[in-house]
Amino acid sequence: MKTFLMPAAALVLCVTAASAWAAPGTVLRNDKLYSQPSASARVAGSVAKGASVNILSKQGGWLRVSSGKTTGWIRLLSVRAGAGGLGGAGLGDVVGAATTRSDPSRVVAVAGLRGLNDEDLKQAKFNADELARLDTLSVTATQARSFASQSGLAAVNVPGLPEPKPAQPSSSWESN
Amino acid sequence: MKIKLMVLAISLLASSGGAAGIDFGKLLEERINQELNKDKPTQPAPAQQPAQTPGQAPAAAQSAAAPPPPAKQKIDARQLGFALFGDYSLEEETRIGRQISGNLLGAVPLVRDDKLQGYVNLVGNWVALQSGRKDVIWHFGVLDTEDINAFAAPGGYIFVTKGLYRRLNSEAELAGVLAHEIAHVTQKHHLKMLKQSSLIGALGQAASSKAKDSDQVVQNLIGNGAEIMARGLDKNAEFQADRIGIVYAARAGYTPWGLPDVLQDLAGLPAKDSRTSLLYKTHPHPADRLAALGEAVGGRLDAVRGKELADRFYRVR
Repeated sequence: MKTFLMPAAALVLCVTAASAWAAPGTVLRNDKLYSQPSASARVAGSVAKGASVNILSKQGGWLRVSSGKTTGWIRLLSVRAGAGGLGGAGLGDVVGAATTRSDPSRVVAVAGLRGLNDEDLKQAKFNADELARLDTLSVTATQARSFASQSGLAAVNVPGLPEPKPAQPSSSWESN
Repeated sequence: MKIKLMVLAISLLASSGGAAGIDFGKLLEERINQELNKDKPTQPAPAQQPAQTPGQAPAAAQSAAAPPPPAKQKIDARQLGFALFGDYSLEEETRIGRQISGNLLGAVPLVRDDKLQGYVNLVGNWVALQSGRKDVIWHFGVLDTEDINAFAAPGGYIFVTKGLYRRLNSEAELAGVLAHEIAHVTQKHHLKMLKQSSLIGALGQAASSKAKDSDQVVQNLIGNGAEIMARGLDKNAEFQADRIGIVYAARAGYTPWGLPDVLQDLAGLPAKDSRTSLLYKTHPHPADRLAALGEAVGGRLDAVRGKELADRFYRVR
């Protein structure tokens, strides 16, 4: 077990962000598990929406997960990382209570860090000096193109994604 | 105080270029009345009336404006009044964006790291080049706060907080975040929201007749300070910005999975983290965003190969 987790942890540190990997996740839609990170690979099993999985590693648009005794690759967008279940519906109460406008107490800071809040933004006074600084940082399209080509980035023709069907299954994060 | 008001009134008269004195409140009343009677096909306003049809207003505003406008320059308040009903001209959009951005920067300054800021501007401009919107000058800035968020204002003003930047691991993830914000600008999400709420605001404005100069007009339009950034957009606007954003990033040659990776990271954060309270108040939960993206993407991006560029990513302390 340990010998298996160690490389996974190293992979997490080196390759991906996130402490989220090698972590619990929840399946967001019914989907297949493939033996390789490709939809043309052999299907190793399937998982249902709401099922808990263990996220083991990631590669491009794929996550390697285990569900019960089955391990395989699932599309990155079919799983959410974290322990919050299906999302807005599952977490809304907890966070909603802490962030509603009417709540006068500022949310207790995590590790001494405080976020921005409504009041900070509402009270903000126009800062011309900072805006002027922002102007000086601006770059030209030519500079951006040169920057891109330095690392081999080139424009790719990718078609736009379709608009969703009218009924959105997802719920708003803000729970009113 | 009275003298100050007099001076303002006189300067307004002077700046309006010999036109009759501006009664902004009355003007708005007229416009609102027109708007309320709009069921019948609208005829151009009578010639002697100073008002213009909504369709004409943007063109008039554009021709009257000297680009780029200095932050404090006064413009004809009527132009922004008309924008309540017509489309915002580029000049108006930029003016609104600068006012919001200046206010936001009043709440949080830029990180004092020119290399970082330059890097973000290069990545952002490269992605923005794929958006098809060429009429704006894009500005990108990293805000010096541990809050985890990113903001877009009309006219191409885009900000990411240091708190969010610090969580990123590759140029592709940065590109994904910026692309989402760029999509808000190209889709004019904030302008549409302003338009929806501006009728109510305009009525209040007419009553209080606070519109002393154009900056005040813009400020009245956007509310107090930078609170518009705390109000948030319709969740469908956020889902749309996600859909469009990953395509922009992919068109720029990055892997499309940068933004989803960031959303996964956020989804894994503890729910009660004060650094994300504003983000979660103004955005659908990351899990909902991932699910909505999943519906739209399916296998459509399976063949897209893009770069992550983790090595070139500029890291901050």
